Amino acid sequence: MRSVYRALAGLIAIGVIVQAMAIALAWFTVIKDVDGGLVFDKNSDANVGHMIHTIVGSGIIPLLAILLLIVSFFAKVDGGVKWALYVFGLVVLQFGLAVLSFGASAVGALHGLNAFALLAVAAMAARRAATQPETTAAAASTI
Amino acid sequence: MRSPSRRGLIAVVATVVVLAPIGFFWQRSLIPNDLSPMTMGYADYGGGPAAAHHGTDVSRLTGPADQKPDVAVDLVAREERFDIPGRGPMDGYTLNHTSPGPRIVAKQGDLVQVTLRNENVAEGITLHWHGVDVPNAEDGVAGVTQDAIPLGKSYVYRFVAKDAGTYWYHSHQVSHEQVQKGLYGVLIVQPSATDVIAAVHTYDKVRTVNGEYGERRVQAPGPIARVRLINTDNGPMAVWVDGAPYKVVAVDGTEVNAPTEVSGKAVLVTAGGRVDLEIPTAKAVRIGLGGGPTTLVIGDGDAPAGTEPRDRVDLLKYGTPKPIGFDPAKATRVFRYDIGRRIGFFDGKPGLWWTINGHQYPDVPMFVVSEGDIVRMTIKNSSGQVHPMHLHGHHVVVLSRDGVRATGSPWRTDSLNVEDKETYEVAFVADNPGIWMDHCHNLPHAAQGLVTHLMYTGVTTNHHLGGTPNNQPE
Repeated sequence: MRSVYRALAGLIAIGVIVQAMAIALAWFTVIKDVDGGLVFDKNSDANVGHMIHTIVGSGIIPLLAILLLIVSFFAKVDGGVKWALYVFGLVVLQFGLAVLSFGASAVGALHGLNAFALLAVAAMAARRAATQPETTAAAASTI
Repeated sequence: MRSPSRRGLIAVVATVVVLAPIGFFWQRSLIPNDLSPMTMGYADYGGGPAAAHHGTDVSRLTGPADQKPDVAVDLVAREERFDIPGRGPMDGYTLNHTSPGPRIVAKQGDLVQVTLRNENVAEGITLHWHGVDVPNAEDGVAGVTQDAIPLGKSYVYRFVAKDAGTYWYHSHQVSHEQVQKGLYGVLIVQPSATDVIAAVHTYDKVRTVNGEYGERRVQAPGPIARVRLINTDNGPMAVWVDGAPYKVVAVDGTEVNAPTEVSGKAVLVTAGGRVDLEIPTAKAVRIGLGGGPTTLVIGDGDAPAGTEPRDRVDLLKYGTPKPIGFDPAKATRVFRYDIGRRIGFFDGKPGLWWTINGHQYPDVPMFVVSEGDIVRMTIKNSSGQVHPMHLHGHHVVVLSRDGVRATGSPWRTDSLNVEDKETYEVAFVADNPGIWMDHCHNLPHAAQGLVTHLMYTGVTTNHHLGGTPNNQPE
């Protein structure tokens, strides 16, 4: 269970990196398309970058965060539930900031900032599961 | 230290607490694969009498069955690659090997007959006559007025073109994909000798006019041209004229009463909507079509190239009033159509989804009317995005916007651009019995559930959404 916890937290951190790459890909693609005589407006479908960002952001990362929370109940990681809740909370906040950003684009800057918080917290959660031995086992071994 | 079994129990309970609400909302959002328009959502009687729906089946509400057609057209739909002049090949759908399909032109009062065959479109097809108030069985909505036409099969549409004007036709099966990829065409009732058609369509980010990309040129038909603008896209299109003033002479197939000359302004063509302009063409003029490299030049020689003017013609005040033929104050049904958006699941997918009166598809209000009702409807948009609202089979008259009463020519429309935070009050006479879609014509929005029906008492349909014919109107 510890290794599952570690893997899930690590995947969330990787997911954030994928999100940054996808959104950069999306908007550079738009710029290139418009330069090439295409239009980008309400008639334009999402390009592959937008699509990845939507699927990973509204599907995969929330799913991983929920799984991490559930696994944290079973995995004997010191402070594991707490850190899984931090991750979950930041994912919810990230989704909420995205929703608000459609109406107020300046909020989008906070969406970008919060991504780093999520990356850091997910990475720290993964580290806890990696470096700390189970407290019960640690206690037993020192006796 | 808690005992391992106790700890395990707490973990299981915590898991249930996390998963139960998510599972509940996920499961509740699933759309049944076989759904009758007669049982979906909930009835909204708009303050009128409640009544049962048994009675005439929509299949009996056809155009004239035995008469000889004045205009007979055979169309064959195919999925294939076609050429966009000025741009290159495009994969999509064609009618008789072209996209847009053949232009259908009829005189007022003609009986139009269109035989549509599906050669190789796997999901099936239909054709809907956008803006034409046809009898219900001819409306071409898969799952509501007919089943999608499967591979190798045909369907015959027959209707009398009773109202002159600029219209278009398009598939209403998997329409968010089939229309964008080319299954559409132009329909003109009572053409004039000075017509210039400008049907604008964006194929996968390639904006075209009459299926062609870039600066397109046509000969001036005379000293004055009647330019029939058709927005076949999902978003609103601002149109302007460089090089001459213009008049807005018709909106959605209805002539404007006493149009005045406009210069230095754009006019908005709603997604799905049509606007006819009268433009003097002694010198070459350029028509800007929503921005981008595609424009239409009428006449020879250099035409000026401008940018979109900031001011827009406001159809609420344009032209001169005249009687609309009924009294909205005597409305017998009053509805509200509130468009919102909320976080949740739609058919199991998490995201931000549209709501109608706070409800999500398919649990949306069905607006029930009886023939002869005068209907008022308030369309309010607080969803954060613009929605081009399209009621099938009827034209509505705009009464007010954001509480400001209409003071221009009667604004009769079938495709109304409702911006975020706008509220329109509209009215119409229920004079065309059937089961009619009333939906957002940004077709991906419709596919995301921004759809409901106007249902007449005494009319039923046997067609189902989903089911074996795989009817997916949006």
